[in-house]
Amino acid sequence: MTRFTRLAGGLALAAALAAPLATAATAQTADTDRQIMQGLSQATMFDPSLTAQVLRQMAQDAVNQNKPLTLDKSEIAKRLDKLAQINVQIQFALGSAIIRPESYATLGAIADAMHHPILWNYKFIVVGNTDTTGTRAFNLKLSQERADAIVQALETVFRVSPDRLEAVGLGQEALQVPSKPEDPINRRVQIFTIGNVKPMGNPIPTNAP
Amino acid sequence: MKRHIVGLAALLLAGMAGSASAQTMSYSQAGALIAKSCGPSIERFCAKVNLGSGELQQCLMQHQDQVPSSCFNDYKAVTASIAKRVAAQYDSYKVCGPAARQFCAGVQPGDANVLDCLLEASKVVPPACKQVLLDAGWQ
Repeated sequence: MTRFTRLAGGLALAAALAAPLATAATAQTADTDRQIMQGLSQATMFDPSLTAQVLRQMAQDAVNQNKPLTLDKSEIAKRLDKLAQINVQIQFALGSAIIRPESYATLGAIADAMHHPILWNYKFIVVGNTDTTGTRAFNLKLSQERADAIVQALETVFRVSPDRLEAVGLGQEALQVPSKPEDPINRRVQIFTIGNVKPMGNPIPTNAP
Repeated sequence: MKRHIVGLAALLLAGMAGSASAQTMSYSQAGALIAKSCGPSIERFCAKVNLGSGELQQCLMQHQDQVPSSCFNDYKAVTASIAKRVAAQYDSYKVCGPAARQFCAGVQPGDANVLDCLLEASKVVPPACKQVLLDAGWQ
């Protein structure tokens, strides 16, 4: 791949995470630079009431109450659909939160986007999701550990500032395709743009006296 | 004369090496390089150690005799390149500030507007600013 297409891929990812478009999120999964470039053009506005803590609580409540799965998307999934986002496939060791080396480059591509000035002033939530294989409580715990592992790698290896990242595990509570709950398509990592780090600055002053 | 040519060739080579090392790798390239050089060893010896845990290099060191030296060399190169890139991103405000005020007055920060302005003005932007943008991975 040329340097240009890599750069363009990173930029498209950055643009997708920043773009305030009004189209509904699609099921596109971006696990190569090219797919990231093509697949990302969704999002709407920030939802200040939808914090990492609120998301965790919604998922925990759903598990505690053992809410029945519906054919519709869950309430959590519907609210998340409205945010600027991407889907990525990260490969983990079976039943664990260990990121497999084959996905290191994908993590790097995410970092490339987050380090670009287009996204310089934005904060993100990294969300882990499972399918319905395994118990609901285990899935919730595993997905949180996996989201934590991604955030940890982005912070320590790829040097994204910790104040820009939060990790949330939603287990099986926000299925991508609720009609096929056991389909591996539901296993995915989502990244949502959730707000600004600080207010955007003022226009640049001139040097002239 | 021959000596001159050899000297010139050496100079050219040095220059090329200089410019090659001046270019930092992207984070994606960095991840890919660790995976390529160290991935098999990680899966074999450090299957329970996560990339971001801070313990991966130490684990690989514990199996030093069985891990290829290219893994350690490339890991070092990745760490150095990322450090350089992060430093350039941080320094860019200071280094490019005067140029931004001179050539981009009135530009609204955000959405990479200032960067776009500086890149467009690259003919008049000072070399130090261009270099820092290159090292930051923004060019």
